[in-house]
Amino acid sequence: MISGGGGRSSSTSSTSSWAPTTWVSASGKRIQREMMELNNDPPRDCSAGPKGDNLYHWIATIIGTPGTPYQGGIFFLDIIFPTDYPFKPPQVIFKTRIYHCNVDPDGHVSMGILKDGWSPALTITKVLLAVRSILTNPDPYNAVVPGIAHLYLGDRAKHDDIAAECTVRFAK
Amino acid sequence: MENNSLQDLNFLDNNDHEEISECFVCCVCLDLLYKPIVLACGHMCCFWCVHKSMSCLRESQCPFCRNQYYHFPTICQMLHFMLLKIYPVAYKGREIQTLEEEKKTGFYSPQFDADTGRSQTKFGHSGSPSSSSSINLVSNACNGGTSECIEQLQSTAQEGDEGTIYFEHSSYGAPIGIGTPSADGKLMPENELLPQQKISVEDVKCTMCKQLLFHPVVLNCGHVYCESCVINLADEDLRCQVCQLPHPKGLPKVCLGFDQFLEETFPEDYERRKVAVQLSKTKAQPLTSSICSSNNGNKGENIVWWSDPDSKVHIGVGCDFCGMFPIIGDRYKCSDCKEKMGFDLCSDCYNTRSKLPGRFNQQHTSEHKFKLVQPNIIRNIMLRLVTGQSTGNSIDSETFENLQFTSEALLDEGEDNQNDSEATS
Repeated sequence: MISGGGGRSSSTSSTSSWAPTTWVSASGKRIQREMMELNNDPPRDCSAGPKGDNLYHWIATIIGTPGTPYQGGIFFLDIIFPTDYPFKPPQVIFKTRIYHCNVDPDGHVSMGILKDGWSPALTITKVLLAVRSILTNPDPYNAVVPGIAHLYLGDRAKHDDIAAECTVRFAK
Repeated sequence: MENNSLQDLNFLDNNDHEEISECFVCCVCLDLLYKPIVLACGHMCCFWCVHKSMSCLRESQCPFCRNQYYHFPTICQMLHFMLLKIYPVAYKGREIQTLEEEKKTGFYSPQFDADTGRSQTKFGHSGSPSSSSSINLVSNACNGGTSECIEQLQSTAQEGDEGTIYFEHSSYGAPIGIGTPSADGKLMPENELLPQQKISVEDVKCTMCKQLLFHPVVLNCGHVYCESCVINLADEDLRCQVCQLPHPKGLPKVCLGFDQFLEETFPEDYERRKVAVQLSKTKAQPLTSSICSSNNGNKGENIVWWSDPDSKVHIGVGCDFCGMFPIIGDRYKCSDCKEKMGFDLCSDCYNTRSKLPGRFNQQHTSEHKFKLVQPNIIRNIMLRLVTGQSTGNSIDSETFENLQFTSEALLDEGEDNQNDSEATS
């Protein structure tokens, strides 16, 4: 046997884009199931759903948890599913500007579970909960913006002030 | 979009009226398990879900608990036929849907015939002509053409045991059971039955002690045993009593989802078995400790494979007999199998065991010739780069993907240009 899945699917993924037909691929079916699960039991302070008519492009919101510098902010995120989802992780991008050491200037979220640590058993609900948890507890040791991470470790109060100011400016 | 999504959601809902137990939902596709595989850690996934989530470069991880494994397990036929009995409509729906996907990719999963299912579980991989021919019979139809395949499906559905005649109305691909009141009417009484009324203890017996399974464990070959029966087997290396296939990497863990289902479905028999097993356990206490030590030994062996720079690794190629993926050591490729999937064996399986049948429905026979294939050297250098980096703890998914991509390109072109030495089976 040769690998029919895994690596091979990465080469086919670019050619077959989602087409709205009555026949839904396995990845589409899985995304629809997640959508139903999300509607039935939405995680706290989070919401997500397809943006327009493309099942593979979602928009999500996270409300900043009280007690953090992001309190009161509404953060919009784009979630882009690869065609071989769930075998490849989705891409999560902050559309609202956020001051956070794990979010790069373009909004890409850097988390283990969205890279090597991805597992096909993870769902968008779990990803959103993970994103919400890094808003509460940033991970400065795996930061993509070293400046913010330094400030977070060195002068937490100043870091929180800047983050709160950014939240007021961009996320309200 | 509105129309489409609505229709699709109906399709999803349609399956739900069979009320699928949570233990039989695949954690990858979030749907009813189809051709279930039980990994060594005891977690169940569909055949294709396991195959697609395996890594072609290094050891694979269970999607659920990240337990590492190296061998692609065989489908558990006992669970397959059990699920078919409990959820006939949903399971057939999954069959059609999976077949559609398979036709798109050109890779096929093994086909089981309901009638020969029993005999296959008996003979397993022993390569006896009777069991293999029955597999080929069904798979011929599937590889042959498009419409034939569906006909086959429908006919098996109609002939299927205990009046599972649900298929006459389904023009395939269309949502099943929607807008066909007559079929729904027929289904209702069946659906009201509890699982224990659809299956009997006969369907879920241990391969060894022939009693109701208690703490079931599934070996790599897909055969199901009680945990207590397997412990008695494992002296040095664990070998299936039916097909003689060795089980890699020590004792498998109990399949808890299946166990829970058995306890709920057959509470009285389960309780009786529990008492019996506990009694015998107290007698045979010292055995368990020796199992643990052999586990550790096997784990060490696997690590050596990966760190040894001279080991021949065939990226993206798995053994069709024992399921080792990727193949480490010599790789023998069948030069007569025409399927896109190909048929490969590792040196152990090539030398010692029967060569039947393929794991992806290949029409392999014992007359086929094999050739020895050398691993691609460039590929191996890349592999070492990748594994080296991964132990250094930072490799971003993009480069990893690119590497996988290029390794595949190499795989495709390297296949024919290799300096293969001919060998006959």
